[in-house]
Amino acid sequence: MIDRIPSGFHPFVLPFMIGMVFVLLYCAYGIVKIMIQLTAEDRKKFLISLVTPKTLLKNIKDIFCDCLLHVKLWKRNKMLGFMHSSIAFGWFMLIVLGHIEVILFIPERLHTFYYPIFFNYFVAENDATVAGSLLFFLMDFFLLLVLTGIALAIVKRIRSRIFGMRRTTRHSLINHIGMYALWAIFPLRLLAEGFTAHISGGSFLTIPLNWVFRQFLGNDLNMLPTWWAYSIALGVFMVVLPFSRFMHIPAEMMLIPMRNAGLKIRGARKGFARVQVYSCPNCGVCIDACPMSVSKANIKDCTVYLTRQIRRGNEKRIAEISDKCLLCGKCEALCQVGVEGPQLRVMQRSLRKYALEPDYSNIAVEPLVEAASGSKVLYFSGCMSQLTPEIGRSVESVLRKAGVDFTWMDRDGGLCCGRPMATAGRLDAARAIVEKNEKIILGSGADTLLVSCPICYKMFRESYDLPGVRVVHYSQYFSGLVKLGQLKLEKSDICYVYHDPCELGRGCGIYEEPRRLIGLSAAIAEADKTREESVCCGGSLGSLSLSFEQRRKITQGALDNLYTSHADAIATACPLCKATFARYSDRPVRDLAEIIDAQSTGYKQTER
Amino acid sequence: MKENIVIIGGGIAGMEAAKQLLCLGYNPIIVEQNDHLGGHVSQWHQLFPDMTPAQDLVRRLGEEISEANIFLETTVSYVNKLKDGYNVMLNNGVNIVCRALLIASGFKLFDATKKEEYGYGVYDRVITNSDLEAWFNGKQDPRIPDKPARVGFVHCVGSRDLKAGNSQCSKVCCVTAIKQAIEVKEKFPDAEIYCFYMDLRLFGKKYEDFYINAQRDFGVHFIRGRVSEVGEAIDGRLQVKAEDTLAGKPLKVTLDMLVLMSGMVCNPQATEIARMIHLDMDDDGFLRSRDNVYSIIESNRPGVFYAGACTGTKTVPETVAEARAAALGIDAYLKSL
Repeated sequence: MIDRIPSGFHPFVLPFMIGMVFVLLYCAYGIVKIMIQLTAEDRKKFLISLVTPKTLLKNIKDIFCDCLLHVKLWKRNKMLGFMHSSIAFGWFMLIVLGHIEVILFIPERLHTFYYPIFFNYFVAENDATVAGSLLFFLMDFFLLLVLTGIALAIVKRIRSRIFGMRRTTRHSLINHIGMYALWAIFPLRLLAEGFTAHISGGSFLTIPLNWVFRQFLGNDLNMLPTWWAYSIALGVFMVVLPFSRFMHIPAEMMLIPMRNAGLKIRGARKGFARVQVYSCPNCGVCIDACPMSVSKANIKDCTVYLTRQIRRGNEKRIAEISDKCLLCGKCEALCQVGVEGPQLRVMQRSLRKYALEPDYSNIAVEPLVEAASGSKVLYFSGCMSQLTPEIGRSVESVLRKAGVDFTWMDRDGGLCCGRPMATAGRLDAARAIVEKNEKIILGSGADTLLVSCPICYKMFRESYDLPGVRVVHYSQYFSGLVKLGQLKLEKSDICYVYHDPCELGRGCGIYEEPRRLIGLSAAIAEADKTREESVCCGGSLGSLSLSFEQRRKITQGALDNLYTSHADAIATACPLCKATFARYSDRPVRDLAEIIDAQSTGYKQTER
Repeated sequence: MKENIVIIGGGIAGMEAAKQLLCLGYNPIIVEQNDHLGGHVSQWHQLFPDMTPAQDLVRRLGEEISEANIFLETTVSYVNKLKDGYNVMLNNGVNIVCRALLIASGFKLFDATKKEEYGYGVYDRVITNSDLEAWFNGKQDPRIPDKPARVGFVHCVGSRDLKAGNSQCSKVCCVTAIKQAIEVKEKFPDAEIYCFYMDLRLFGKKYEDFYINAQRDFGVHFIRGRVSEVGEAIDGRLQVKAEDTLAGKPLKVTLDMLVLMSGMVCNPQATEIARMIHLDMDDDGFLRSRDNVYSIIESNRPGVFYAGACTGTKTVPETVAEARAAALGIDAYLKSL
């Protein structure tokens, strides 16, 4: 391999160089800005994690697996996985191999940015480059891989259903420009390398192409224009990148280490929230995932449009999208990048100013502490369970049967867990309630807090500081009682389909215990979409603005999903899901506690 | 030979229409799913505002339609449109061809278990308005205590309640609650009676007087505010939480018995028939009249007429008036053919 052009420069590299320098400067500016926006504590945490070998290794592994190979996406959808990894990994390899070529053959040109990218233009093959044939083969191979990915991407744009996506994002103009530039880059590269293959060498792709071109062109006049075009496509893509969805490529490389460092979203628009917003690839997986998309009117309220509107700063739409969401968390569970859509929305809600802030200071804690004292097990049924009294009664009855000594903390009225305030973004008000409850629970002397409402359970787990107190959902607790032999379950011949409540499943990761308990007390069937893909019942406290009519459609969609199991009855483990389904369901809806109560006998009773 | 007219539903609407059609010289055929005529009214004790015994009305109507063909414990299996009429297939194998069809299928009481927060079917001392009427009629009910000290009535259970899927007002519950409150007070003179309402819609003749009587002569307490939740004390009594919106204060009372004023929803049988012969349904789940001012008894299909609560919530006098109108409507329609 020898340098073909003595100066080692040609003006066609300029568009690429301009784009490249622009992107690097923009990213550097972005990183500095975000680092400044982090709280001092978070910044320290993040920087320490970057030099800790364990997190560092994890960062590298995650970036390699998620950003290049798209392992998570492969697991979910092989076609999409192949498409993304072929483009990302193929492109990455082309860049790496380009550098290797430069290092091997013309190391003195390594300091130029553009040589590895436009290598084939600047070099001529000589007889000594045997080692090059493998490299040339690999270059063509990865180019082919990328081209396959691009071809799939084009097909996906036209017919997304082939890829299992019912709906995809409607892209903005700038996204379209970026996308067409990206699509153009690699075919242009193939053409450019094809035109120069008789000089610079090539492999199975470029050499035959070169032969074909030379058969009917017979001159090299097309060579330079295609290299120009290739460089311009790269330049356009990179100039557009910071303003398009393709910003997710650099942003995700920042998101992964920040997440691994344990950072949480603290502000509405700044710091980690900003990184999350830019990391959204606009793929639109959240559109099909969103339970609101059963009615077409709500499609534009999915997370992909939230991140877009936050980037645009469209306050009216940000507020609308943030308020409407049910906070069911399905978009987050299915998001390949891990954009925390629900938390982002809660933070947007927290920007709202209220004329009146609630004042809880007049609520005396002492009488409540006294009422809660007396047993090691403290049962908290929550406000929603007051509206579905059968649940509290069943939990009480099961505990009695199992001979558990317990105190019902809010039997005669108690404080709210604080979650409705928290989801409304009124974080200070929620904090005030949390602190009151913490005092009551810690003051009661109990070592176990038993909760029957997943909404409260998630709140207790995530936002409470209760040292020495084990917070359990009754499905876990009852499983324990069954294991210890304190509770015996007898099978009935009813077949239930279990609906995973959002807060219990996706929210707290409890999928198995409820199923095990139902399995022991009845037959169990599975719905089409289940576990982390379970569909919100539509009753969620999360939404601040959905109308009853809109909620009804969501509930009907969720019920239709459950009906696919052909079960006799619906079982769930959340008072809100139960009340919501019971309104429209054509078959009985029962809470897990009711089923267990009906099918169980206590240890003492079996002894008799 | 007299012309057949099928009447689906043997409540007071169907009975009254049958009576008028007999007078007009037709042969009405009543299809009733229960083993008796009279529908909901036959289960009621007394009717507001004059405390007329409901049985009298049903008996009188029954006597007047003794010549009509009546199929009890029978339902419609299938209806299909013929060129100039309808073919009605009953589940007892009888097939009737008629040129005019009257739907008088009435309403169904809202299932109070759907409002679990009120504790119907959960607690021992919660009953509905219809349970109370049955008890007035002499049916034993273990849920009703021997000497209740405090009794509550909850208005609008499943009415004007978007969460329950019903936005419509059931019209009769306000005045029924007042009537039942007075009746309960008469049975248990020492009991305190509470009515939890959001509005009192006392639009009919003498309703307002009735309301004033209940307060002045019977000392019934009217509390403006919806009941939020009902709990059970250890002794089985009920703890009711509500908001007194006039006083602007939350309220908690312990009651011995709670009566839920279940509202009206459309009879599912009507929905089924509507599907068979493509009758329009309204958003509230009732059948849609051709228009709600002038043609309430007419449907969107020729020869199909409506009477009573199948098109919306109705009082007894309204139902009876509509039944007569429907009979005349059918007569005019058949003569115009």
